Amino acid sequence: MVNECNWGLCHHGLFGDVVEVVVSKPNPFWRLVFEPVLEFLSLVAKTLVGIVQPPYRVKDLVKQLDFVIWQSAPVVIFSVSFAAIVTIIEASFHMKLVIKNDALVPGFAALLILRELGAVVSALLITSRVGAGLAAEVGTMKVTEQIDALRMLGIQPIKYLVVPRFLACVIGGFVLSIIANLVCLYAAMLVSQVQLGYSPGSFIVAMRSFVSFQDLIFAAIKGACFGAVIPLFSCFYGFRCESGADGVGSATTKSVVSTSVAIIVLDFILGYIFSYMY
Amino acid sequence: MIEFKSVVKRFGDRTILKGVSFEAKQGEILFILGTSGTGKSVLLKNIVGLLKPTSGEIWIDGEEVSQFTENEYFRIRKKCGMVFQHPALFDSLTVFENVAYGIRKHRPETTEEEIEARVKKCLSLVHLHGIENKKPAEISYGMQKRVSLARTVAVDPTMLLFDEPTTGLDPVTTNAINQLIFDLSRELKTTSLVVSHDMHCALDIADRIMVLDKGEVIEEGTPEDLKNSEQPLVKDFLMEIV
Repeated sequence: MVNECNWGLCHHGLFGDVVEVVVSKPNPFWRLVFEPVLEFLSLVAKTLVGIVQPPYRVKDLVKQLDFVIWQSAPVVIFSVSFAAIVTIIEASFHMKLVIKNDALVPGFAALLILRELGAVVSALLITSRVGAGLAAEVGTMKVTEQIDALRMLGIQPIKYLVVPRFLACVIGGFVLSIIANLVCLYAAMLVSQVQLGYSPGSFIVAMRSFVSFQDLIFAAIKGACFGAVIPLFSCFYGFRCESGADGVGSATTKSVVSTSVAIIVLDFILGYIFSYMY
Repeated sequence: MIEFKSVVKRFGDRTILKGVSFEAKQGEILFILGTSGTGKSVLLKNIVGLLKPTSGEIWIDGEEVSQFTENEYFRIRKKCGMVFQHPALFDSLTVFENVAYGIRKHRPETTEEEIEARVKKCLSLVHLHGIENKKPAEISYGMQKRVSLARTVAVDPTMLLFDEPTTGLDPVTTNAINQLIFDLSRELKTTSLVVSHDMHCALDIADRIMVLDKGEVIEEGTPEDLKNSEQPLVKDFLMEIV
């Protein structure tokens, strides 16, 4: 048997033989580039299989939903409200400056909120709150051999750790995106009433000429996709965590940076796809 | 029975085990001594498939297991108990739930009363009482290590693998754990592989001692054989107890 794939995730045999065979090539380039990519794809595949494969960890899912949705909601609502306020005030200021009229502000603000702001800001907030914690948790479990202990007890770490968090983040991303968008719109409406003098009725009329219910659905789909990315990257870096506090810190940093970048790239891709559906 | 045949283990460019071969018979206590970083823990993890060897063969109870998949290894792991270097307790569970976890997983037919009795018995084996409802974070490191040992023996394994089981423990508990390893081996014919730095305890309870240095077995024999060894590293270890 020749198998040199004994570092990274293959190291503790979590992933399949395919990964091990491909990265057993002696060329270090294979290890540096292809091993992490294949390990990540393998993690995604095993997570998806774990969702449909019994036993279903409903209790864990409920606990994670509480953590992701209920406990994240205050910070998401608070932050997106301010983001919406800044958006509408800035938009009004610049429109008045350039075209001497801010009548289009409610519509543009609503468009920006529903297509970008609500979903992206809430996803980035979930990343910093849930993703960072998850990477640190899995990383600590790795370095303190809790993951090995799970495997000794015949428990698949991906099924046990990743699947409930993945489902919770997908559902959480979907729900929080809708909440964030509605809160954003409400905050924008309040500011436009107090600061810019638009009545709620005129705000809604102006908004309706730019956006539709479809935008809210697309935003929720974006939220769910962003939610899926968060636990996958976090757990991936947690599983690859090296020993010591430094290793856990590094895994957490990498997971937050990678997830944030992935969310922004994914936002572009989804935005591009959705643009063909309007 | 556990047998290694020319097992090599590499991490990238680093070779940790360089063709290790040895055999541990049923009911035997085999101590694996060596300085830090010589591959002792890697060797133990290869036995239960937590790591896979780069080459070589690993035989457990007449089966070559080095090619086993994760699912196939579960059968082997049911027979083996492993005490890790870290306590490796599940933070979110209480001490009771930690010890009971393996019983529930490996023996689903066990009743709650039986589980409770078994958990209490295992905790008393490691001199722990009245901490069943505490979380791991609420007890000391030494107590966590003892709970970890209780969790391991709770499922009646036929092979026990100890990765520095007494590191960080007080002398009284260290002696109690060494005695426990000895009793399990003699009464239940449990095969025990103990990775340790403690030559004193190795000479006390080991049937055989294997000394590992830089990924190679440099000495192997009974405690008496080792006392007469000419290997400088073995002499250094012996000096420690003089």
